[in-house]
Amino acid sequence: MSIWNYVVTAHKPTNVTHSCVGNFTGPQDLNLIVAKCTRIEIHMLSANGLQSVLDVPLYGRIATLELFRPHGEAQDLLFIATERYKFCVLQWNSETSELVTRAMGDVSDRIGRPTDNGQIGIIDPDCRLIGLHLYDGLFKVIPFDNKGQLKEAFNIRLEELQVLDIKFLYGCPKPTIVVLYQDNKDARHVKTYEVALKDKDFVEGPWSQNNLDNGADLLIPVPPPLCGVLIIGEETIVYCSANAFKAIPIRPSITKAYGRVDPDGSRYLLGDHTGLLSLLVITHEKEKVTGLKIETLGETSIASTISYLDNAFVYIGSSYGDSQLIKLNLQPDAKGSYVEVLDRFVNLGPIVDFCVVDLERQGQGQVVTCSGAYKDGSLRVIRNGIGINEQASVELQGIRGMWFLRSSTDDPFDTFLVVSFISETRILAMNLEDELEETEIEGFCSQVQTLFCHDAVHNQLVQVTSSSVRLVSSTTRELLNEWHAPSGFSVNVATANATQVLLATGGGHLVYLEIGDGILQEVKHAQLEYEVSCLDINPIGENPNQSHLAAVGMWTDISVRLFSLPDLNLITKEHLGGEIIPRSVLLCEFEGISYLLCALGDGHLLNFVLNTSNGELTDRKKVSLGTQPITLRTFASKNTTHVFAASDRPTVIYSSNKKLLYSNVNLKEVSHMCPFNSAAFPDSLAIAKEGELTIGTIDDIQKLHIRSIPLGEHARRICHQEQTRTFAICSLKYIQSAEESEMHFVRLLDDQTFDFISVYPLDTYEYGCFIISCSFSDDNNVYYCVGTAYVLPEENEPTKGRILVFSVEEGKLQLIAEKETKGAVYCLNAFNGKLLAAINQKIQLYKWVLRDDGTHELQSECGHHGHILALYVQTRGDFIVVGDLMKSISLLLYKHEEGAIEERARDYNANWMSAVEILDDDIYLGGENSFNLFTVRKNSEGATDEERGRLEVVGEYHLGEFVNRFRHGSLVMRLPDSEVGQIRTVIFGTINGVIGVIASLPHEQYVFLEKLQTNMRKVIKGIGGLSHEQWRSFNNEKKTVEARNFLDGDLIESFLDLKRSKMDEISKAMEVSVEELAKRIEELTRLH
Amino acid sequence: MDSNPSSGASQFLTNLPSRGTFSSTIYSSNQSGMRVYVCDHDTSPPEGQHIKTNQQNILIRSLTLKKQKADSSSKDGSDSSRKRTAEKVLDSRASAKKPNSQSNSRQEGSSGQSSNRDFQSLTVERLRALLRAKGLSAKGKKDELITRLRDADGSA
Repeated sequence: MSIWNYVVTAHKPTNVTHSCVGNFTGPQDLNLIVAKCTRIEIHMLSANGLQSVLDVPLYGRIATLELFRPHGEAQDLLFIATERYKFCVLQWNSETSELVTRAMGDVSDRIGRPTDNGQIGIIDPDCRLIGLHLYDGLFKVIPFDNKGQLKEAFNIRLEELQVLDIKFLYGCPKPTIVVLYQDNKDARHVKTYEVALKDKDFVEGPWSQNNLDNGADLLIPVPPPLCGVLIIGEETIVYCSANAFKAIPIRPSITKAYGRVDPDGSRYLLGDHTGLLSLLVITHEKEKVTGLKIETLGETSIASTISYLDNAFVYIGSSYGDSQLIKLNLQPDAKGSYVEVLDRFVNLGPIVDFCVVDLERQGQGQVVTCSGAYKDGSLRVIRNGIGINEQASVELQGIRGMWFLRSSTDDPFDTFLVVSFISETRILAMNLEDELEETEIEGFCSQVQTLFCHDAVHNQLVQVTSSSVRLVSSTTRELLNEWHAPSGFSVNVATANATQVLLATGGGHLVYLEIGDGILQEVKHAQLEYEVSCLDINPIGENPNQSHLAAVGMWTDISVRLFSLPDLNLITKEHLGGEIIPRSVLLCEFEGISYLLCALGDGHLLNFVLNTSNGELTDRKKVSLGTQPITLRTFASKNTTHVFAASDRPTVIYSSNKKLLYSNVNLKEVSHMCPFNSAAFPDSLAIAKEGELTIGTIDDIQKLHIRSIPLGEHARRICHQEQTRTFAICSLKYIQSAEESEMHFVRLLDDQTFDFISVYPLDTYEYGCFIISCSFSDDNNVYYCVGTAYVLPEENEPTKGRILVFSVEEGKLQLIAEKETKGAVYCLNAFNGKLLAAINQKIQLYKWVLRDDGTHELQSECGHHGHILALYVQTRGDFIVVGDLMKSISLLLYKHEEGAIEERARDYNANWMSAVEILDDDIYLGGENSFNLFTVRKNSEGATDEERGRLEVVGEYHLGEFVNRFRHGSLVMRLPDSEVGQIRTVIFGTINGVIGVIASLPHEQYVFLEKLQTNMRKVIKGIGGLSHEQWRSFNNEKKTVEARNFLDGDLIESFLDLKRSKMDEISKAMEVSVEELAKRIEELTRLH
Repeated sequence: MDSNPSSGASQFLTNLPSRGTFSSTIYSSNQSGMRVYVCDHDTSPPEGQHIKTNQQNILIRSLTLKKQKADSSSKDGSDSSRKRTAEKVLDSRASAKKPNSQSNSRQEGSSGQSSNRDFQSLTVERLRALLRAKGLSAKGKKDELITRLRDADGSA
C-alpha cells in the first residue's frame, strides 16, 4: 500500500445518539429526527408507519440535537451543536426540499476545560435563549431577539464545576435553568438560576434542593401546568418544584434515556441500563402534584434515546443494540410485557473487534463483527452482495432454459415450470401439496428444445421451438394454432410477451407475430444483413402486455438495434465496438427511467438510457460483471423490478436514487434464472446452476447484507480458524443479581451455523483480552492463543495475566498450555513461528518448546520495555509495530542472532492510540482517540541516527470515528481484469458501527482525485455552513492541522448523486468530461 | 405494586396521545432507499446570523455593568436597593463554603426582614454589632438589645 489513501464508508454509522419529534418538514408534518453521530435522518410519521425522507451527512459529530419553535414560526427549527464547538440552526424549505441555514456559529472558547460529562445544549421552552455548557465553570448563552434571530453569545460563570445535567424550567417569567451537580464531597444537589439577559449574569433562582440520591444523573423538566423538574436517581425519583416535593423509591437502575409521552408532562417513558422500559406517572389533581408512580412495561434494546411518536408507538434509539420501533399495548402479553417490537433498525455499533473471512470460499471477503454491548451483544456477518435463501432443489443436468407459466391469465400464481434441455422439454407443475411433479401440456412439443415460452392473453400459452411457434390453451392444454418456420430455416432466437412474438431465423430473417384469441398472426417480416444473436420485446410502456419497441443484437457488425413494432422499422443502430457479440439484450425500466441493457459474451454489460418515444440511446456505460456470457432476465421483489444477470458471477442490477447499481449474488455460477411466484413459494426465483435446479427467495435488494447472531452477551474479540472451520470469541456476560458481576468466557463457534460448540470459562476477575489463531515452528497443529488479565478491583493496572493455548479437538476447546504473565496480555501475534505478546509496558516473545514428556510449553525468549501500555501490535517479517496507550506508534526489530528486540524508530507525537496497522514495509497506519487517522513512514534513508529513529508523520485526517480495529481485506469480489482489483485495502470498524475502507491509490490517481475533491468542496456545501476542510483537519487536544495524504471518498463519491448541471460545473473545472469522471468514480465505488 | 403489575400498568397506558399517525392496523415501513442529501446550494447563514461569542472578560464585563448600574442608580435610587439585596444574596452564597460563617452572613443579609425569633438566635456580640451599625446604644441585656433593635426596625 502507499501513503496516498482514500477513505470511504462502506457501512454508515448506525449508533443512534439523539432523537426528537416535531413539525420539521412542514407545519402539518410530524417528523422523527434521528442523529447517528455524523448523520441525521429525517423520517415522516404516517398512517402506516415511519417513512424515511432524508439521510443528511454532517461535517461534525453531533453533540446536541434539539427541535424548537421561535415565536411566529409555523414549523420547528433544528438546533445542532457539534463536538468541535460549532453549532447551526436548520430550517426545512418545503418548496425546494432543501435544508436552509438559519444561523450558525462557533461557540468555542480559547480557554476552558472541556466538560467531563459531555456537552449540554438546551433551549428555553419560551425560546428566549439557547444555553450551552461546554466547559467546566462556564455557561454560554445565545439569546434570541424578539424576531427569533440569534444575537451575540456570552459566557456566564457557573459556580458548580461538576455539572451532571442542566435543563430549562417551564413556566418561568424569566428563563430559569436547573442545575444538577456534584460537590467536592461527591454529594449531589440541584440548584436553580435565573438568567438575567440584561446583566449577562445569573440571579439566584426560586428554589434549590440539597443532598439528593447519590446516583442522580438526569433531570426531566415538567411542562405546564405542573412545571417543576423530575430528578432521576438510581434508587429514587424526586419531583421538585418551588412549592412541592414528592419522592418515590425505585428498583435500583441507571436511567439512560427518557421520553415524554403527554404534552402536559404527566407521563414519561424511562429506559434503563439493562434495557427495561418503565412508565413514570405524575399523579395530580388539576395543577397540584399528588404523587409519582412507576411501572415496568417490558424489555427493549438498551436505549440511548426514547421518542414517543404517536398512537402508542415509540422509537427506541440504541447505542448498544438495534434501534427499535415499539408499540405499547394496553394489555400485557403472555410474558407480562406491554412492549411489542414492530421493527428493528440494524445497529452494528459498537464494533469492538472484527475479522475478515471467506466462509463460502468464493474469493469474497465477509466481515464478522463483535457488535453491541451488554445483553444486546451479537456477532454480525456483513457481506457485500445478495443472498439466495434456498428453499428447494432438485438435481437436473443440462438445463438450457426455464420459464414459469400460469394456468390461466388471471391466476395470480405460476403453475407450470417449463424446463428446456438440448433435445427435450419437460414440464413440471405444482400439485396440491405444493410439490413440483412432472406433468404434460399436450399442446406443447416436448421432444425438442424450447427456445422461449410465455403466458399469453385469453388463457393461452406460447411455446417457440426451432421449427414452429405453438399457441396452446392453458385450460384445455390443447394446441390452438401453430406458426411454422419457412422450410429450410430454423428459428434461432425468439422472445415473446403476452400479445407479441418476435423471432429470428437463420439468414437474418426477423419475424413479428401477434397473438389473438386462438390465433397467431404473422404481421411483419424483415430481412437483416446479418444473423441475429439476441432479441427482446419486454414491455416497458404503459401497456404491460405490449411493446412498441424491439431490441435486437446482431452478429458480424456487433451492434444492437431498435425496431419499432409492429412495422419493424429500424429506429436506432448502436455499434458496441470490440469483437464480442451481444448475448442478451433487455428493455427495462427502473424508477421511471427506461434502459436498454446489453450483455456481451465476455461478461461485460453495456447500459444505455433509452428514450422510448424516439428510440434514442444515451449515457452509454460499460461495466464488467464476470468473464462468461451473461443472460439477462427481469424479476420483481417487493413490487420493484430488478434485473438478474446470470453468469459466472451472477449479479442483480437495480436502481437507487436513479442510479444503476450492481450487487453480486452470492452464488457461484448461474446459467439460467426465472422468477417464480406460487402460493407456497411467493416471490421466488428458480435458478439453474451446475446440474441443479434451486428454488429460493432473494434477500432485500441492497448493497450490504447483515446477518445478526444475537449472543446475549458481550463479545470483545473474535478470530477465525480456517483449518477447524471455527470462530473463537472472548466474551463476557453480566450477571444480574444482588451483586452485579461479570463472567468471562472463551467460546468456540461453528463458522457455518454460529452455534456455540465449546466453552472455556475464565477465572473470577479474569478478562479475555485478545485471541488469535496461530501455529508454531516444529509443530503442525493450529492453536487458539488467548491473552487474559486479572482485573482486580483494588489494582489500577493489572499485574497478572495468562496466555492460554487451546487446540480444537472434536469440536472442543482443549487447553494445551498456559503461561502466567506479569500483566494484562493486550495483544498477541504469531511471529516467526513464535508468539509475540504485549504485556502491560512490555513486548515479550515466547517460543514453543517441546518438553521431555511430549507436551509443549511457552518459554520466554526476549522482550522489550519502554511503553506506557503496549495495546496494539502488528508484525511484518521481523518488524514489530506497537501502538501505545499514549505514545503513538513505535517500530521495533527482532534480531534473530542476538535473540533480542530493539527499538528502531518512533513517532514522538503524543497520540493516544486506538488501533494500528502496517500498510507496507515502510508505512504504518494509526487511529487515535480524538477520532483521527494518521500514517507514519519509516525513514531508513535518514543521514543520522536521529533521523532514522524518527517515524515521520506523512498523512493526517480527521475521520470523526473512533476506530477499534484495522484489518487487511476487502468486502468485494476482486475481478482480475478491473483496475480496482489491483488496489489494496484495509477495512476498519468503529464504535458508531461504521465499516470503512482505506484504499491506497497510485500517486497519479491520488493527485487527480485530490483536485476533484477540491472542486467538489466548492460545489457540495456543508450542511449548516460547516466546512469540509475544517471537519477533515486532524484535530486533537494538542494541535489542528489540515488533512493531508488522505481523501474523503464519501465526498468524492457523492459526485454521482449530483445534478447534471453541477457535474458539468465540476467537469469544466477539472477539464475532464462528465462521463470520464463518472466512470472513474464508479470504479472507486466498487471498492466497497 | 409488583404483585399485580398487569392491572397497574394498563391503568396508566390508557389514552396515550394520538395525532392521527400510526393509525393503520397494518404497519409497513419504508426504510430502504433513503435518499442521501447532497447539498449543492449556498449554506452560509443570512447576514448577522453568524454568531460569535462576546470576547470580553467576564470580570471586566461584570465590573463595567456594575459601574453602569451605579451610574444609573445615582439617578434612580429605588432600583439600586433592589439590586443590592440580590447582590447580597449572591455574596452570602459565595461565602457559603465556609460553614461557620454561613448562618451569620445569611442573617446579616436578611436582617431587614428579621423577626423576633431571628434576633433570639443571634449572640449578644452579634446583636451589639447590629446596634452599633445602626448607631444605637449597644449596652444592656440581650432582651433589651433585641427590643431596641426591633423598635429601630419598626420605625424604619
